[in-house]
Amino acid sequence: MSTITEARAVTTSVVSHVPWWRGKIVQVGAIVGVMWLAYRGWKTEYPWPSDLVWNGLQARFDSIQTYLIDQRLEGGGGLLFSLFDGFRVFADNLVEWFNNLLVWLTWIGTTVAGTLLAWRFGGLRAGIWAIAAFASFAISGLWAESMETLALMLAAVGLSILIGVPLGIAAGRSRRFNRAITPFLDAAQIVPAFAYLMPVVLFFSIGYAAAVVATMIYAIPPCIRITALGIRRVPVNTVEAAASMGATNRQMLTKVQLPMSRRMLLLGLNQTILFALSMVVIAGLIGGGGLGAVVNSGLFSNPALAILAGIVIVVMAMALDRITEAVANRTDPTKRHLDATARRRLRIESLVVAAAIAGTVIVAKAIGVSGEFPESAGIRQRAVTAQDWLLAQIQKMLDYVADPTTWVFQVTDATGTFILTRLLLPLQAFLVEAPWFTTLGGLVLIAFVVSGLRPAITTFFMLALIGFMGVWELAMDTLSQVLVATLIAVVLGFGLGVWASESRTVSGVMRPINDVLQTLPQLVYIIPFIYLMPVSIVPGIVAAVLYAFPVVVRLVERGLKDVAPEAVEAAGAFGATRGQILRKVKIPLAGDAIMLGVNQGIIMVLAVVVIGGLVGSGGLGYEVAQGLVRGQFGQGVIASIAILALGIALDRVTQGARQARKEDIA
Amino acid sequence: MSDRQRGKGIGLFALAAAVAALVAVAVASAGGTRQAACGDVVLNENSWVGSTANVYVVKNVLEKRLKCKVTVTNITEGQPAFQAMADDKIDVVLEDWDNSLVPSNKKYVTTKSIVPVGSNGIAGIIGWYIPRYLLKQYPQFKTWKGLKGNESVFKTAESSPNAGTFLGGDPSYVQKDRALIKELGLNLKHVVSGAEPAQVARWTTLYKQHKPVLFYWYDPQYLNAIYDLYRVQLPKRFKGCIDDEKAKGNHACEYAGYPTLDKFVSSGFAKSGSPALKVVKKFKWTSADQNFVSNLISGKHMDKDKAAAVWVAKHKATVNSWLK
Repeated sequence: MSTITEARAVTTSVVSHVPWWRGKIVQVGAIVGVMWLAYRGWKTEYPWPSDLVWNGLQARFDSIQTYLIDQRLEGGGGLLFSLFDGFRVFADNLVEWFNNLLVWLTWIGTTVAGTLLAWRFGGLRAGIWAIAAFASFAISGLWAESMETLALMLAAVGLSILIGVPLGIAAGRSRRFNRAITPFLDAAQIVPAFAYLMPVVLFFSIGYAAAVVATMIYAIPPCIRITALGIRRVPVNTVEAAASMGATNRQMLTKVQLPMSRRMLLLGLNQTILFALSMVVIAGLIGGGGLGAVVNSGLFSNPALAILAGIVIVVMAMALDRITEAVANRTDPTKRHLDATARRRLRIESLVVAAAIAGTVIVAKAIGVSGEFPESAGIRQRAVTAQDWLLAQIQKMLDYVADPTTWVFQVTDATGTFILTRLLLPLQAFLVEAPWFTTLGGLVLIAFVVSGLRPAITTFFMLALIGFMGVWELAMDTLSQVLVATLIAVVLGFGLGVWASESRTVSGVMRPINDVLQTLPQLVYIIPFIYLMPVSIVPGIVAAVLYAFPVVVRLVERGLKDVAPEAVEAAGAFGATRGQILRKVKIPLAGDAIMLGVNQGIIMVLAVVVIGGLVGSGGLGYEVAQGLVRGQFGQGVIASIAILALGIALDRVTQGARQARKEDIA
Repeated sequence: MSDRQRGKGIGLFALAAAVAALVAVAVASAGGTRQAACGDVVLNENSWVGSTANVYVVKNVLEKRLKCKVTVTNITEGQPAFQAMADDKIDVVLEDWDNSLVPSNKKYVTTKSIVPVGSNGIAGIIGWYIPRYLLKQYPQFKTWKGLKGNESVFKTAESSPNAGTFLGGDPSYVQKDRALIKELGLNLKHVVSGAEPAQVARWTTLYKQHKPVLFYWYDPQYLNAIYDLYRVQLPKRFKGCIDDEKAKGNHACEYAGYPTLDKFVSSGFAKSGSPALKVVKKFKWTSADQNFVSNLISGKHMDKDKAAAVWVAKHKATVNSWLK
């Protein structure tokens, strides 16, 4: 699963042999040292001054909510609401229509259609993935729910593409548009979905439409980004050649830029699907139904069922990922060169597939196959799914995990306590209790040293905004957790990334693990960790690390593999051992890619802050979660803005390094 | 080249035509198949097991006795669920923990978008709970005064050496424990523990190890039948004592609790004249009933519908009284 982050990695280049960061580490260390001294000297004496807080802010946001509710209930709002209403009816119908279609085809028909289409366009492996996915829907006894989720995905992804691709093309062709749109894309990906559920519900009510909108907000940004990147990556000389031959603007797009970026466009589709699937559970909170609703209700009443539904979501994600990737690769015009016979064969294949699907559906309907995979069959109505068995197995595992007398618990409990007392609590105390001005000044200085003036100014304004909104302490609490989680994720990800770059086996093993960790709803896998590490903040850290480290692994692995082979060969010719090549050549040369890993790791960690809040991390995440469920809109919005501000500040501190360097090179 | 492309085009066209034909038939045959005597009823299930128990017992009665077509939704409580009722997407909420009193939600009641239809018979209690086994060693923990000076019994890695830890509740529940701890002068560190499953994971682990734990908890809750808990007596309520932590004032008393938990129906459903409305209005049971069903579902991992059927079969008289 290549995420958007890889797309960014491509733009980095390795030039210098002297790592740019060596001198800076010392400087950063000195700044932290001064901050530490200030902390020892004036502990808790200087919290963020209340004179510098806008106290009425929350009430203002709350009054927006009240206003919206009033408008909604009293039939006011006029045009705006009727526009939203129009979209709502449309999206509701679209999802329902897909769902009806999948049911109408009968379960056999849907399976055959899905499998054959995957096979026709993606090849044999894609076909096998499709049939495996349908089998898992059936075996888990969650067929109807899976179809509902699939229908929701079809609608949400379709609409995301419809909006995202044109915007992506525009962003790819115009640098100015790209710059204008980027902040919105960042915001859409960092602001926790919990924060915008309330407005979404007000504008689109609950149900499929609301679920589709919430999903789209999250899934459109990667679609735009990858499309833009694809367009931009079309070689300049090709574009110039076409221009010199007199291609019009429109011809340039349809005959050159789009066909040549076709593979990237399909990868964009692939990413859109995965991002959309990661919203299934949250969409379930506002009427998305399907597997998301099973997870939500199961978390409280039957955790085993929630885990089973989570696994089905992962299987669906992996199948869609592999199938779209296969389609992207197989139909890439730059790779595929068909002759007349091959074309005829494909044409016949298409006809056979169409006939087979139609035939299967007609036969299935004729013999009365049901729309959904049945739970039981035969005269005795024996169960034909393995749901009960699967649930029993998962429950057994949960019971083991929840038993504090096992040796596993002895290990995990001690580890959790260690992380808490040695890392989290000291850092938390340092950031929360140190004088606000030294923390603020120190962080801005670090941004300056690492990234330059402009990022430092941005960092200053973001941190000041946090203080101004009155959530300084909460934000510092969250920051301490983000730093610890990032540290663990980077150490873990760096080690595994280096290993994966040297070993094909490890690389192969990491991919499915990566897929599972990025698509399995966090709340599903984090509950067992709470039993294993019953110490407040730690499960949230675990969730963040598990979500973030695969990205670090991938970026580090890619960075090391992309090191110019000449350098490696030269070192080998001088008799350097494998270890020496790795330490003295590859890692220094891949420095930028590794820094990007750190940067992306932080962003990913921030993305799960709210999940952390739901499992005991406190800080800003808890405020957001509470804001939604207790109807305190303002509280949720302020905490969300603070998370975004923190994200931008941290991004500038770490990512700025690369940009500053790029400017140097330029 | 054009010839070859056309060939490919025909294949794709055939595929598209086949799909389109299927789609057309699907559209034609969709809808208009189900219509029961009682009609459709949408019940909303919330994220606590007691709510699941309410919903599935009522679902059983409506389906088996009145032949209604019941759909269960899982919309978040409070504003999202109320908006859904205002939009006629949900007909019934069977247990509301005073979300209708939250200022920003009052409009839903005053505009009659949601209509209260009485109590579901259950009284909600909120308080500070400890495992009963602690009382053997520390009988003084029966009241909050006994906690004073002994806070370090509840010491954890998170609290400073002579302080104890207090486990806060789910973010969606009413809480004022931070203010209470401060105003009662207790040396406790309030720790947020996140959503209910997370909080349960934490205190049950300590309970199983027979360790001390002090936490925010409530009743009715099926876990209270599995774990023997004791509610610490907080100062009695007095005039002017408030539960809203964010509001200024005196918080130093026990929680008001919920003498009644209300049911709500949407205005559309209230006017529908559906026979189901009568059952929803009369639906009333006890905490023991609800805990019984909750325990079957969550404790014994029984299918929700089956668990409801077990209770219904045992309480024919009660069920009949809802139908009269």
